[in-house]
Amino acid sequence: MTKYLYNQEAVANLKLSDTSVLDRLVDFESARAAHLKKEHAKKDKRMSLTEAIATFVQDGDIITDGGFAYVRTPHQAYHEIIRQGKKGLQMIGAPNTNQSFQIVYGCVGYSHNSYVGAEMRGIDKSYDRMLKAGRVKILSEWSHGGVALGFKAAQLGTPGVFSKQMLASDIVRYNPYLKVMQNPLRDDQDPVVFIPALYPDVAIIHCHAADKYGNAYIYGPAVNDLAIAAATRKLIITAEEIVPENDIRYNKKGSIIPFFYVDAVVEMPFGAVPGNMPGYYYWSRQWWEKLLRFGGVSDENMKSFLDEWIMGTKDQFEFVDKLGGAKWIAEARRQTRAAEGDNEDVDFSYEEFTLKHDSGLYY
Amino acid sequence: MKDLDAPANPLETLAYIIAQQISNNSVVYIGTGIPMVAGILAKKTHAPNITLVYESGGQDPIEGDMPWSVGCPFTWRKSPTIMEMSYSFAQCYNGYVDIGFLGFAQVDMYGNVNTHQIGKDFHKPKVRMTGSGGNNDLSSLTENMILVGLQTPDKFPEKVDFMTSVGHLTGGNSRKEAGLLGNGPRAVISPWGVYDFEPVSKRMRVQSLTPGVSFDIAQQLTGFELLKPAGVIPETKLITPDVLKIMRTEVDPRGVFTSMPTA
Repeated sequence: MTKYLYNQEAVANLKLSDTSVLDRLVDFESARAAHLKKEHAKKDKRMSLTEAIATFVQDGDIITDGGFAYVRTPHQAYHEIIRQGKKGLQMIGAPNTNQSFQIVYGCVGYSHNSYVGAEMRGIDKSYDRMLKAGRVKILSEWSHGGVALGFKAAQLGTPGVFSKQMLASDIVRYNPYLKVMQNPLRDDQDPVVFIPALYPDVAIIHCHAADKYGNAYIYGPAVNDLAIAAATRKLIITAEEIVPENDIRYNKKGSIIPFFYVDAVVEMPFGAVPGNMPGYYYWSRQWWEKLLRFGGVSDENMKSFLDEWIMGTKDQFEFVDKLGGAKWIAEARRQTRAAEGDNEDVDFSYEEFTLKHDSGLYY
Repeated sequence: MKDLDAPANPLETLAYIIAQQISNNSVVYIGTGIPMVAGILAKKTHAPNITLVYESGGQDPIEGDMPWSVGCPFTWRKSPTIMEMSYSFAQCYNGYVDIGFLGFAQVDMYGNVNTHQIGKDFHKPKVRMTGSGGNNDLSSLTENMILVGLQTPDKFPEKVDFMTSVGHLTGGNSRKEAGLLGNGPRAVISPWGVYDFEPVSKRMRVQSLTPGVSFDIAQQLTGFELLKPAGVIPETKLITPDVLKIMRTEVDPRGVFTSMPTA
């Protein structure tokens, strides 16, 4: 028996026969209990990626990630989840573009959907096929702002927030967690959407630097990461670099995730490859184009492409070597500095990957 | 190399028409694609004092190359501050955004938008698309919305297959009664025409048409009955050679968003 009065119209529209699959995302008591039970002392939490994923990502978990689509997203950690063959994960995020790979490998089976796709590069044809084939089931539909507010509500320490987002749209008819209500303080008609605080089981956030206790520094857009870090039951930090605590105290002014949220600290240079890491490296546009254009054609293409890159590399260093090694690093560093206005006269043109033309270059 | 003297292609035309919707001194919320070109073009031409803001939270970046994503470094290049996502949408709610631009896969006669799926069956769509992203948030909260996309009868259906974002809902006062903020969509812009909404019924109406496009052609490109304005339908003002040159040399020199796709 569930203690939640889900939006019944959405439960029916989504054809959810057993709503217990929805519960943990909004189960505040168990999230608070998990937070209380965590190690609250400053302890060395460093471990390998393999150990962090094995220990803290369990089959069936609700998982989320930091960053935004191709920016500061923990790609190398997804690859480890795939290599370890996790099953039945639910993925939530704003966006949740990167669940797509994990669906292909059967790791993610459920989606709390906000946005899956590639912006200017179009829809994700693999996701379209996976949905139609029943290999992933949508448990709730969201706007980006709706997910952001759900995480933020958790960080604020409230049962939920009221919004004007999503009112009257079909999203509320496909989201069991949302309730349209009358604003209780208003005498006139004032509909609002109640968004409950959202508590993922596990989050992976890739940061620029972390100390061994888990104090973690982000440069550039923090997106939803400070809220996610506060909300999630378990938090894995992957960091480009491990630094002394004093470096965080004295030098790292920006967005900081405090150590007590953190369960695992993984040193992971190039952890966002093949995506963009602000200040450090630009994304490989050719890699993503090949993924979407070649992988978009069929399940077989997608699987062979991902097998080559994920199963065919044992870690991020092999992945970088495959992208072009030091040449890739030099070019990606030059481009990201230019993109951020710290360098000039960098030519951003490149040979696009198309089905008819593969330069074989990833920088 | 780009031929700087070639006539404007439909995407360049579209970017110019969108840019004309932007008034100087306003805060402009920009989505991926053509609106990025339009925003930067407006800033480099008739509206130098606008502030561009993005869903990444980037505020007022220094222009660089075309952003490839709303999270891309070009959306927060040397920004004085970068907001978290929830605060970025709160900017719209709290009245600090004057105008926003959104794309669509389908838009209906009341300006409601679909970016979820083609086909009405949620469980068996013809095509599953991206979902909302920030589309619904901007539509629900922003004072003035401009919708931008291609126009065919399928893309302009009488009713969208999935209502990702509410425009004027079922017309009349229905948007306001449903509790949404702002004025709803003010215009829909396609390469063939600029459409507004009749003030009482809130049904889509022709405002101006691209030279060479008649009302009958516009109607044939639309899956519902378009309203016709009183009098002669004006022609949409097209890009001048000077502005086209700025677009090609300073705004999108590599044609990231303004090159016509090759087959």
